[in-house]
Amino acid sequence: MKTFRVIAGREMRLALRNRSVLISALIFAVWFPVMSALGIAAAAGEDTTAVAGGIAAITLPVGVFMGYLFCADAFLREKRDGTIETLLCTPVSLRRLWEGKAVGVAVPAYLMTLASAAVTIAAVYTLSSAPIAGEPLLILHLAVVVPVWIAAAAGLIGAAQLALGMRENQILGFVFIFGFIFLIVVLQGVAPGGGGLSVTTEGIFAAAGLALLALARFIAGKVTKERIVRTIP
Amino acid sequence: MPEAAGVSAVEVRHLSRSFDDRDILSDVSFTVGHGEIFGYLGPNGAGKTTTIRILLGLLAPDAGEVRVLGRDLAADDDARARIGVLFENNGLSDRMSAVGNLAYYAGLYSVDDPEERIDELLTLVGLADRREDLVGTYSTGMKRKLGIARAILHRPEVVFLDEPSSGLDPGAQRMVRDLIVELSRREEMTVFLNSHHLDEVERICSTVAILAGGRIRVFDTVANLTAASGRPAVTVSLADPGDRARACEAVGQLAFVAGCEMDGNGLVCTLSDPGATPDLIAALVGANFRIEEVRRSSRSLEEIYLEHVGSAEVAA
Repeated sequence: MKTFRVIAGREMRLALRNRSVLISALIFAVWFPVMSALGIAAAAGEDTTAVAGGIAAITLPVGVFMGYLFCADAFLREKRDGTIETLLCTPVSLRRLWEGKAVGVAVPAYLMTLASAAVTIAAVYTLSSAPIAGEPLLILHLAVVVPVWIAAAAGLIGAAQLALGMRENQILGFVFIFGFIFLIVVLQGVAPGGGGLSVTTEGIFAAAGLALLALARFIAGKVTKERIVRTIP
Repeated sequence: MPEAAGVSAVEVRHLSRSFDDRDILSDVSFTVGHGEIFGYLGPNGAGKTTTIRILLGLLAPDAGEVRVLGRDLAADDDARARIGVLFENNGLSDRMSAVGNLAYYAGLYSVDDPEERIDELLTLVGLADRREDLVGTYSTGMKRKLGIARAILHRPEVVFLDEPSSGLDPGAQRMVRDLIVELSRREEMTVFLNSHHLDEVERICSTVAILAGGRIRVFDTVANLTAASGRPAVTVSLADPGDRARACEAVGQLAFVAGCEMDGNGLVCTLSDPGATPDLIAALVGANFRIEEVRRSSRSLEEIYLEHVGSAEVAA
């Protein structure tokens, strides 16, 4: 447990010191919600449930994208630099290393996503005056569903970045992002009520997030040190 | 934890590994004793780094067996706490300070009293005054010094150094060389040195193995290898070079001299008895030859390396 905290703590500190990633994340955290808020306010008007549903719908892609941004620093950069090879020689298991890094990526990504959600709520409120900040399902969504999806995205993308070569990573990075977004759209489509904020919808998204997290853990367990070392550039 | 008697620090037995149907290592075997500085030599692509990676459990062997301190590092997380590693990239983050980097690894290795150990090592490698600077602002030599400090932070029993002098200027190379010797003595570590710098290996290593064409061509102590091949030879410089022919004829009749050739200002005598050098000198002085210098002939590691690597390349 101690090594997990050491790894996660270091990734969080490095993420918060990486200006270029932070600036990219901040731009995305502000630009995307402001643009989305216009659409949400226009479509939902003052219907609080619909507005909250709109906000919940955009926080997941934002969270996944934030996870992808921070993963590039924690997983891909260490692989490109070759530092990962030294870490694989420490008494820390590969699974523990992956877990520590994934959580270390997920925490700043989650904080950025919360900041983005706050901007969205403020922008929508300004445009529609719908009192959505205290909406219980939205709070549940931001407190449970979003972090699970971000952790799943960070874990899956991180495992893929460890296992794949640099060229494949460049291509598959976007495939992952669009894959996640496609999955979110599909789940919104199959959820009763057209993906609006409801207990059922949140249940479906929470279950899907947990399934993705389990999938990430399964895939990470299949990645070998040999695979990682042989794909270091 | 002290090892049981008879367990080598590093043991490689009949190791083979291929990549994409290309044999990289074929039936490689050698051992490294505790406390030795072992030099692992070979041309680019010979399989040196592959051997180290297999020893460290990063790659799996196709055949054969490897042990470090009697353990298989691929399967034993705890055993990896007893080894240190320095790869060419130093394993450091440019965006953290020297202290930050060392503290991170101290946490991974659960080092006791990390602050004191970090202070001690930063002083040892001469980076105490740059301790809070980001590693990205360091020179290549400073990064290498910090990398060595990182590799031995947890007081490993065996440390693997992969090309520690690569990319360094001559001054920094010497500094790294001195540091390795100092650390080997002070921390009583076994050092596995993977290097292209034959001069460096000859100076600091006790034992070497030369790998070429995927096979071990030479495995012996540096002292044995650099002694003249076959029978020992002695070069005698005479004060009067005109005496060479007469001296060679006189020496050639001695029972312990297997052969004598004129060379430069003197003679090169091949002895049948390695301990006969004083007798040779006494015989020459007794015959009234004036001797200016006597020295044992030895071959440099470079000559030995080129001989074996060259023959391996021809065979390939």
